[in-house]
Amino acid sequence: MTINDIWDVFVLGMVLGSLYAVIAIGYTLVYGVLQLLNFAHSEVFMAGGFGGLIVLTLVEPVAAPSGVQSVGYVLLGMAGGAALGGTVAYFLEKVAYRPLRRRRAPRLVFLITAIGASFFLYNLAGKIFGRNAVPMPSAYENKRVLTVFGTSLNITQLLILGSAVVMLLGVDYVVNRTKLGSGIRAVAQDPEVASLMGVDIDKVVSRTFVLGGLMGGVAGFLFGTNVQVFPTMGFLPGVTAFAAAVLGGIGNVRGAMLGGLLLGVVEAFTVDLVGDEWRYVGAFAVLVLVLMFRPTGILGERVARAA
Amino acid sequence: MLTKRLVKFAIPFAVGALALTACSDDGDGGGGDGSTFKIAYQGPLSGDNVQLGVNMVNGVKLAIQEANESGDYDVEFELVEADDGGEPGKATAAAQSAIDAGVIAVVGPAFSGAAEVAAPNYAEAGIAALTPSATRPDLTEKGFATFLRGVPNDAEQGKAISDFFVSEGVTKAVVIDDTGDYAAGLADVAQSHLEEAGVEVVRESVPDDTVDHSGIARTVTESGAEAVAYTGYYAQAGPLAVKLKEAGYEGLALGGDGVKDPQFLSLAGDAAEGWYFSCPCRDLSTDEKGQDFIDRYTAEFDAEPGTYSPEAYDATQMIIEAVAELGDGADAKSVYEALAAGTHEGVAKTLSFTETGEYNGSGIYLYQATGGAITALGNVTDVVGG
Repeated sequence: MTINDIWDVFVLGMVLGSLYAVIAIGYTLVYGVLQLLNFAHSEVFMAGGFGGLIVLTLVEPVAAPSGVQSVGYVLLGMAGGAALGGTVAYFLEKVAYRPLRRRRAPRLVFLITAIGASFFLYNLAGKIFGRNAVPMPSAYENKRVLTVFGTSLNITQLLILGSAVVMLLGVDYVVNRTKLGSGIRAVAQDPEVASLMGVDIDKVVSRTFVLGGLMGGVAGFLFGTNVQVFPTMGFLPGVTAFAAAVLGGIGNVRGAMLGGLLLGVVEAFTVDLVGDEWRYVGAFAVLVLVLMFRPTGILGERVARAA
Repeated sequence: MLTKRLVKFAIPFAVGALALTACSDDGDGGGGDGSTFKIAYQGPLSGDNVQLGVNMVNGVKLAIQEANESGDYDVEFELVEADDGGEPGKATAAAQSAIDAGVIAVVGPAFSGAAEVAAPNYAEAGIAALTPSATRPDLTEKGFATFLRGVPNDAEQGKAISDFFVSEGVTKAVVIDDTGDYAAGLADVAQSHLEEAGVEVVRESVPDDTVDHSGIARTVTESGAEAVAYTGYYAQAGPLAVKLKEAGYEGLALGGDGVKDPQFLSLAGDAAEGWYFSCPCRDLSTDEKGQDFIDRYTAEFDAEPGTYSPEAYDATQMIIEAVAELGDGADAKSVYEALAAGTHEGVAKTLSFTETGEYNGSGIYLYQATGGAITALGNVTDVVGG
């Protein structure tokens, strides 16, 4: 393997990993505030894919769009993904989890509800949209546009990397610098004290879901553009992103980013060096190894401590 | 609908009649009020490869509907759908549901992996399983008592792929399977024939739940191979084709019969252009009988018949004729025996079986994606020879 090959594969891994990172944020934020493993987040991601698909299907991109048109289509697709992702996340919290919180249900009940919601959502999507995979209408001609150290990147790859960076910086800013962020951190640290200090827990929780949902939705659109859209598309990226969140330290926003990128890169190298059927073996071996030596993940648990 | 109501009444009647065959003496002497026989279709009616299942079950539906409406038979037929999602893990349950429904014979299981799991169940129940599409070679070598294959197997298709590549002057090829039974089997055969012919083969396996094909696309382009064969199904082949194109691959690309589907074209878009497909399925539009089938199918389902629609139709018709021949006294065992020994002139081909239940005949056909459609190039032996 030459240095050039290594760089090549590394870039593929970063593209993959940056999507994992964005999805992982959704898991980690919710875990941070509720200590809930929201397994239905993979379906929020899936909803984002369909959101983008619906918008772009309605808009019907022209055959050879100009630069400006392409940017417009992509933004519309992202908006569609974010909107549906955010909406699903909002109602998921409201319908599936809030009643349980009201009744102070045990942790296990939340977990089962999450899994149930996940099944419900992807089967619902299958009923509504059909179970066949659908390609995203192309918003641009996917040319190779940029060569960095001998590795040429196409528009989709740049788009994924670029939007992931923007979203990751954005969420880092929101969590660490804004009022909503301090609310999220306060609830994560100690919900009771936070509520005594005047933090509206319900509102913070709800907004945390929506924040994760918006990002998961955009990630879903990007994934749909890169691969295709189908009702079960959330499962594997979801599981991997969840692993990424645990790897980085669940509840820790920067940890989720790091974990996502790391898993993406490990996956890409495993595929290249060993073969596709070993993809998850490599990624999960790293997960197990890291957790053996650092049980709380690379950067440690909890949103509050990351600040 | 009237027929539906009729069928509702007919089911208990038929079940009762079946249970009492031993002591019944067929008192009412026939007429339009004969028994209803159930024919199952087992295949992927959900999941990623549902399109192939729909292609087939529509073929089955059409055959049953035509038989019931024709008035040629004293007995009625009814479809039982047994959905195995194309997965071995769901095959036993699907087979059991068909067996419990009291079917007289089964069209399917559609996929090789599922067929291997379900065939023993059907064998035990003594019900014929006539698959229109499960092509893995060793299925007929395992001694499944009631398994019949209505399609040339992959040993032949694998060789055809190799012959085609060799005739195109390929010296290095990548053969990719999806780690499933059918794909790995076909890839094994293709690989061994290619290597025999002196072609260097890079063998890769990409699991069928893979969502990211950028890695394998890179492997293909970096290998410097002039041809790539993908032996899995269209659901994975679509994104693979897209990533290959993105990675700048310009060599030959070929998919097996699991890829030859209009869905592949829609998934791969521009990237599908130029892909070849090998398939043990004849192009029907070349003769009157086939074209007539296409017209009837299209009129009924508002879509052209897909891969294995005619094969499923033929298999169903063969079962229907066997049952009708045997009349009210038909049971699963006698139907199996009639099928195994019988010959049926179908729309796709003439069906008959060897002693092991293998399809008795040959023929692999080559297709190509051109201008957003799948075009038939003819029998592989003709293409390679010409």
